[in-house]
Amino acid sequence: MTSPKLTSLKHRFSDWGQAQDYYLESKLTDGLPIVPPSEDRVRAMLEFAGLAPDQVVGVETIRNKHITAEKVAVNSVMAGCRPEYFPVVVSAVAACCDRSFNLHASSTSTNGVTVLVLVSGGYAHTIGMNSSTGVMGPSNQANATIGRAVNLVKTNFYGSVPQDMDNSTFGHPGKYSFCFAENLDASNWPSLATDKGFDGESSTVTVVAAYSPLQVSVFGGKDPTSFLASVAHAMIGLGPSISEVLVVLSPEVMQYVNEAGWSRQQVQEFLWGKAQLPARDWIAWRRVEHPETFTDKDQLVGCVADPSRITVLSAGGAAGVYIDIIGSWGNSRTVTRKIEIRS
Amino acid sequence: MTNLEKMLVALDPRDESDHGPALLATRPPTLNGKTLGLLSNNKPHSEELLQMIAGIMNESYNIKNTVEYNKGSHQWPANSEALKEFASKCDVAIHATAE
Repeated sequence: MTSPKLTSLKHRFSDWGQAQDYYLESKLTDGLPIVPPSEDRVRAMLEFAGLAPDQVVGVETIRNKHITAEKVAVNSVMAGCRPEYFPVVVSAVAACCDRSFNLHASSTSTNGVTVLVLVSGGYAHTIGMNSSTGVMGPSNQANATIGRAVNLVKTNFYGSVPQDMDNSTFGHPGKYSFCFAENLDASNWPSLATDKGFDGESSTVTVVAAYSPLQVSVFGGKDPTSFLASVAHAMIGLGPSISEVLVVLSPEVMQYVNEAGWSRQQVQEFLWGKAQLPARDWIAWRRVEHPETFTDKDQLVGCVADPSRITVLSAGGAAGVYIDIIGSWGNSRTVTRKIEIRS
Repeated sequence: MTNLEKMLVALDPRDESDHGPALLATRPPTLNGKTLGLLSNNKPHSEELLQMIAGIMNESYNIKNTVEYNKGSHQWPANSEALKEFASKCDVAIHATAE
């Protein structure tokens, strides 16, 4: 059986160094060296996922971009992915194409958010993702390269090139890579995948148009109403113009929540209720873009519109009593997709 | 093995589909007597900025009149039906952002 034809333009190089120079000088990398995307490596990605090269994995309608499996595979090889990571990248790219994610505006805004890729379910363990100590940091190949691959698709294929279409004022370290897995061992709750409505066997990827993470130290007792109050206080710092918040509980904090018997919904509702201020306060602190839209200045205005916009999960190492909060940009909604794994 | 066979072959990661060149709208030979459209993206001060530009253009050209449309959000493209209606009411348009 002959392999399906790959149609990408082929570049020929005398050696590895010349290939690196070409991709770097052509601004086809994030500034770091890449794995030259040979045909064999690209085919290995596609074969693992059972995808034809010309299969469209996502269509972004604002820029009319039809993203093919071949191009996602090329960028995944460049990022350093192993073939078993490829289904995660494909699902993440598909999720980014959901109109509610608003990839076009979120990836070009001066706000400079990145695409956070959050993996939930057993497949994260299967491919060796880190959900524990240093979960948002370096050293794990799957975490590092899956997030990098999504960013390379965004820049190389979609065209949100830094200093060009991507006009971020400050940028974001997560524009290199921002990917981690939910710590399923730490929580009594259903996985995020299950909570999002997928069956218990499914693994999912959730994409977030993410600002920088803000770490909150937890002081005081183990009563959730005490330590979640400090999280709500930090959420107010994100302002009233964000779309959603991701709240990441360290395993020790999650243990307190487990012991108190709080559900995910209880945490969401508590945080939402606490992270509110009267409109006049937001206006006084100059946190509102259009203050004229508030006719009742005593109206309570939340950090986000409703509790469902607060996604709560556990991740991170056993030591440390911290909570991370990550706001999402503008009107972008987090989007969750099942990871399709060929059996 | 020939030198060609020894070469490293790597694929291009960019979108190679041909959407054709972006097309510019036909430019009128003069702005005199034309209706000027002002398209705001709803950023703070964008309408003020557009009014300032309209004022400058009125000093240089005999602009017939202006029509205004605020697309409601800088985060989304304009509603296509509303944009068509706006376009039908003006000869030329300026789109501005501001803070």
